[in-house]
Amino acid sequence: MDGLVEELAIAMTAGVLRGSVYALVALGIVLVYRASGVFNFAQAEFGTTGLFAAYAALELWGWSYPVAFAFGMGVAIAMGLLTERLVIHPLRNSSKVTLLVGTAGVALAAIGLQFWLFNDTLIMTMPKISESFYITPWGAPVTAQALIGVGVLAVVAILLALFFRSPSGLAIQAAQQEPVAAELIGISVRRVSMLTWGIAAALGGLAGILTGPILTFTAAFLSFGAFAALLPGFMAAVLAGMRSMPGAVAGGLLVGCVEQLGSLSILSERVPGTGAAVLFFFLLAVLLVRPNGVFVGRVATA
Amino acid sequence: MTSTLDDSRTRILEPVAPPVQAPEPADGLASESSGSDQAWRPSRAGVWARGFVWGLLAWFVLAVPANILSPFELGVADVSAATEAVIFGIVGLSLNILLGYAGQISFGHQAFVGIGAFTSAYVVVDLQLSFWFALLIASAVGALQAGLLGAVSLRLSGLYFALVTLSYGAFTEQTVFGITELTGGEGGKSAPRPTGFDSEISYYLLCLGFLALVVFIDWRLTRSKAGRALAALRENPRVASSYGINVKAYILLAFALSGMIAGLAGALLAHHEEVIVGSKFGFQLALLFVLMTVVGGLRSRSGVVIGAAFFALLGSGKLLEMLDKPLSAVGFSLTEFIEGTVGLPQEFVPLVIGPILLLLTITLYPGGIGQQIAPVREWLLGRRFDPHAGKVEEVTVNDVRA
Repeated sequence: MDGLVEELAIAMTAGVLRGSVYALVALGIVLVYRASGVFNFAQAEFGTTGLFAAYAALELWGWSYPVAFAFGMGVAIAMGLLTERLVIHPLRNSSKVTLLVGTAGVALAAIGLQFWLFNDTLIMTMPKISESFYITPWGAPVTAQALIGVGVLAVVAILLALFFRSPSGLAIQAAQQEPVAAELIGISVRRVSMLTWGIAAALGGLAGILTGPILTFTAAFLSFGAFAALLPGFMAAVLAGMRSMPGAVAGGLLVGCVEQLGSLSILSERVPGTGAAVLFFFLLAVLLVRPNGVFVGRVATA
Repeated sequence: MTSTLDDSRTRILEPVAPPVQAPEPADGLASESSGSDQAWRPSRAGVWARGFVWGLLAWFVLAVPANILSPFELGVADVSAATEAVIFGIVGLSLNILLGYAGQISFGHQAFVGIGAFTSAYVVVDLQLSFWFALLIASAVGALQAGLLGAVSLRLSGLYFALVTLSYGAFTEQTVFGITELTGGEGGKSAPRPTGFDSEISYYLLCLGFLALVVFIDWRLTRSKAGRALAALRENPRVASSYGINVKAYILLAFALSGMIAGLAGALLAHHEEVIVGSKFGFQLALLFVLMTVVGGLRSRSGVVIGAAFFALLGSGKLLEMLDKPLSAVGFSLTEFIEGTVGLPQEFVPLVIGPILLLLTITLYPGGIGQQIAPVREWLLGRRFDPHAGKVEEVTVNDVRA
């Protein structure tokens, strides 16, 4: 029994570490959904694209780490803005499913580009920010890189909370709730939409560049590659009712832990790929029991 | 006096009367020329021209792969690629039922196909039953699992359901297809060709026959009460149900039918490839299915089949080879151009071109390939060549149950 408790503790630690990445992705998804009513399938691809850009700058062109990091973030943000300009805006009057297919197309295009441009490089590893320390609470391996990820999530969450109390943040909320009224009082809905997509892409980029060093990566790394965060990110966003920012953070951490529960040895010894199975039934249960999300307060019926 | 005047008037009017009636035949002519399809018949030359094009199409589909009356020398690999294109056509039609008719988005269609494939392989190899029986079982299992997933969709709105299908696909690929006893694990599972269909060309013709069957089923579906009910509930389920349409039953029907056809396609795919591996049915395949169906044109049978075949041939590299054959006469090779000059390796061509086509389709041509070929299609069906045929306002896969 003692072994199980220890395994559980290790799994939970790993869950929180993975979950912090899911939370970053989920935050971006929730932001975009509130702004454009789109399920953004390209959210994780913003991250992978940023990661590829940072990798290219660092390893191939020999730039310094901070500059390469900034370059990766810049590419991710540019991709977000371009998506808004070229796909979301022209399709703004289409049905939601058409928009969803559109963002899936953006993701696929990005994946195709990554395959194409980095075809010659077989194994890609992003260097860690800090190789040095490595702690093992309860026997769970925790690298500095993973700790940085959790720290960044915490900082981002606080910054976002502050941002939504600033005039720009309030303008975003106003434009989401009443676009016409917001236009009338002088808020440019167009610019707000660009701003939201830019922030979401930056969140994706952070998730990508921070996660890259943990594993070797390939094209579609963050969507459905080695560190598939798209689906868990969506689950976290659904737990947050596609609306609540703190809910997205909590949801991401929860999904990370639930997924790790699935790979506990008592389960995974008998059935393969239990992580995916546990996530599937978890999503089903959540959607069927609480279709409006778990981490949301009661909504005023307007 | 007045009476004579009246008389004279009537007398004057009488001869005028025929001209009043005279426009009648002219009117008839006008309505005929304005496109009443029943009245208009193609001329004798038109009939011959249409017959010629139909013959050309039949020759292209039936004779060229068999190397009969054909200037090309097609090898086994070419026919194999053509078979895959036909199977993809069946998958496209299956997805079209969900996406186009019922308005339910599915990112888990690769799971439907994969389940059909492994079921059929299991029935043939482990249970030692015949191929035809395996097709039946695969279709039934496909219908069953799709129906179960459809039952979930009844409780969820469109976008949330898309997530469930996405998760279902991941679950099926990683968990179900990972069970070594059923699927042979990473080494894959063998699925031998049925007796009598060992050669590539005979199996190709078999798949073509099944495609024709599925097209027929699909055509009868759209012309039946069920097809009209699906169209109504896609546009607005509440209005549809107020007209007495059992929305839930018809959505389940659409799922079961789509799953059945996908299961059939999966079984055909399994025995086409002869060894199937679970990792083939990943999320990328699901995206490719959605891509080819939307680019093909939702609710357009011919468009979907052409779109599916296009992406299948693009993926196996045969499309570029095909285009190269006539182009080599002018000393130009598309394959070399793309691989050498553009620097795009052949295996990534669909991944790069596909999304661009998809984005172009949904922004500029919502009707996809089906919209592009609509004038030709109308002409082939014995109607006038109308360049404006098939115009669609938007891909109206509405978020129907939001």
